Amino acid sequence: MIKKILIVDDSPIARKMLKSCLPKDQGFEFEEACNGQEGFEKYKSISPDLTFMDLTMPVMTGYEAIEEIIKYDKNALIIVVTADVQLKAIKTVLDSGAYMVLRKPLKKEDLQVALLKAQDTLQQVE
Amino acid sequence: MDEGGVAGFYRTIRMIFQQIFDAINLGIVILDRDLKVQGWNRWMEVHSGIPVNDIINTDIFNSFPHLNNSKFIRSCKSVFTFGNFCFFSQKLHHYLFPFKTTSYSDFRFDYMQQSCAMGPLRNDNNEITNLFIYVQDMTEVAVYEHKLVEMNMRDGLTGIYNRRFLETKLKEEFNRHKRYGGVFSIIMFDIDFFKKVNDTYGHQCGDFILKSISSRVATLIRNVDFMARYGGEEFCCLLPETGIQAATAVAERFRSAIEHQENNFDGNLIKVTISLGVAEFKVEMESPHSLIKKTDEALYRAKREGRNRISVMEWEETVHP
Amino acid sequence: MMETHEEQIFTSEELEILQEIMNIAFGKSAADLADVIDTHVVLNVPFIDIMQVTDLPSYILNYVKDYRNISIVEQNFWGRFKGDALLVFSSGSGKELITMLQHGENTSLESDPIEILERETLMEVGNIIIGACVGKLAELLKDVVTYTPPMIILERFYNDAISENHFDPDKTAIVLKTDFSFTEGNVSGFLFLITSNDSIQWMKEALRVFIAQYE
Repeated sequence: MIKKILIVDDSPIARKMLKSCLPKDQGFEFEEACNGQEGFEKYKSISPDLTFMDLTMPVMTGYEAIEEIIKYDKNALIIVVTADVQLKAIKTVLDSGAYMVLRKPLKKEDLQVALLKAQDTLQQVE
Repeated sequence: MDEGGVAGFYRTIRMIFQQIFDAINLGIVILDRDLKVQGWNRWMEVHSGIPVNDIINTDIFNSFPHLNNSKFIRSCKSVFTFGNFCFFSQKLHHYLFPFKTTSYSDFRFDYMQQSCAMGPLRNDNNEITNLFIYVQDMTEVAVYEHKLVEMNMRDGLTGIYNRRFLETKLKEEFNRHKRYGGVFSIIMFDIDFFKKVNDTYGHQCGDFILKSISSRVATLIRNVDFMARYGGEEFCCLLPETGIQAATAVAERFRSAIEHQENNFDGNLIKVTISLGVAEFKVEMESPHSLIKKTDEALYRAKREGRNRISVMEWEETVHP
Repeated sequence: MMETHEEQIFTSEELEILQEIMNIAFGKSAADLADVIDTHVVLNVPFIDIMQVTDLPSYILNYVKDYRNISIVEQNFWGRFKGDALLVFSSGSGKELITMLQHGENTSLESDPIEILERETLMEVGNIIIGACVGKLAELLKDVVTYTPPMIILERFYNDAISENHFDPDKTAIVLKTDFSFTEGNVSGFLFLITSNDSIQWMKEALRVFIAQYE
């Protein structure tokens, strides 16, 4: 079951927008980080079930953070949420182990589908 | 307003727009996302000769295959994707639709010169479903522009180039030869005893002689040569790729042609002669002015030695030890 | 000084929303641009600055001072969101773009002087980039804008290109800035979207409506 969710994005508004798109009745616990470095640290300390990751961030970008996290935990479930929808960017993050890519602006429906898929995957791993 | 009233109101508005669409002095074309024609106003019918019923719902490239190029397709994509406007200026594109010109002028373009723009058309949900193209006839403006440019280059009386234009050309040639080497020459000539012509027959006759001589000489030069009215009765020819000997032969043709020409002014047969100076470009010359000065000196010598003759510039070759 | 202006005009939350909307808009523009002009365009993270209009020339100079010459494509956009878009290209961009866009296509333009071709190519590409960025931004804010035909200043020194009296001095400028580069060819530059007091009330409302979807 997905319980703990880590949201990594430098924009507080973007984190708020993401949270508002997630269902309220499933008792998710949220943890937030505002750059890739902080995201990686928090990942290690709380081991979230699911991570949402922005790409363009200061200190450490999402690209680097994904690589670090996957290196640390190859089963990490990372959903990239980005405004950069060019194929090149999408290919890069999928190659380095991200689970899927969602485009900004987020739609509730897309996010819920993503959540269900992630749930399934998580159960198979367990 | 009741339902019928609203519908009636919109019907009237539609009719008004349809009439404007067909009456406006502007071509309007509407395309859908497959680039099929969905609108073609009267103006387009008239100028293309294609009736609206023949073109509606057909691929625009069927009727205008030359539009199937990257710039046009890129523009359509951009309008459908971003909803922006694209512009096709007359200066660069000349036209989008090859139509016959309608305006009368001494300068003729092969096709109507057009300034065109393209923009989005949206439905009630703000989605871009179609694009429009408008076509504006710019032929007359383009003709005026050509005339203005010409006027700036030409002498009003004789129609040959003016001094300013020649000096610009001379500077270009001079700088090019200074850098890359090669030969070119200039001939300066003026009409002998021109004042006497004016005094005897009047200024109108003087003008007539100027025109007559310039048009005779113009028949003796090549397309690549430039001939200009340099001063009152003074003319100058720039002969690219021509050495001093060839230039002197050309000058002799001028001299002989004018000597034998009878100018008929109001029944008076008037003969005049010209004196000529010839000079060629030398790499040691400092500026175009030095070349003009050499030619002027030669012309002056021709005058002093008795007129109706040619004199060639004097040049001492600098010997490099 | 700049701080106080920002305080007066937008709250910090409004600025954050605007920033996020710009990230989204320009990200989408870059992807669509790749499709329309067939080359990959990198649009970097945009920034918002607020200043007096009279400070604009020196502000812009600060970004483009490393360019030997600049070419500027300028377009006004009109909607509830209205203002001035300035696209500043680095020297030589026009010639690079001609080669990139023609793809060896033989057009009837060969007889035209290179300067006209350069001018038209910059205008075409400028028009598309401006349309993409402004259009996406307006779309997210539920607005539809129209544009004036692009004007161009070709290969000039900066001081000859932008003058003090270019802008209305009584206004406050909200500047949305991004830099871009083409992965192919040596083309880069800056985009400045300059909007003023007139659009502020509408913009605040549009930002509120946008974020309300997520509350």
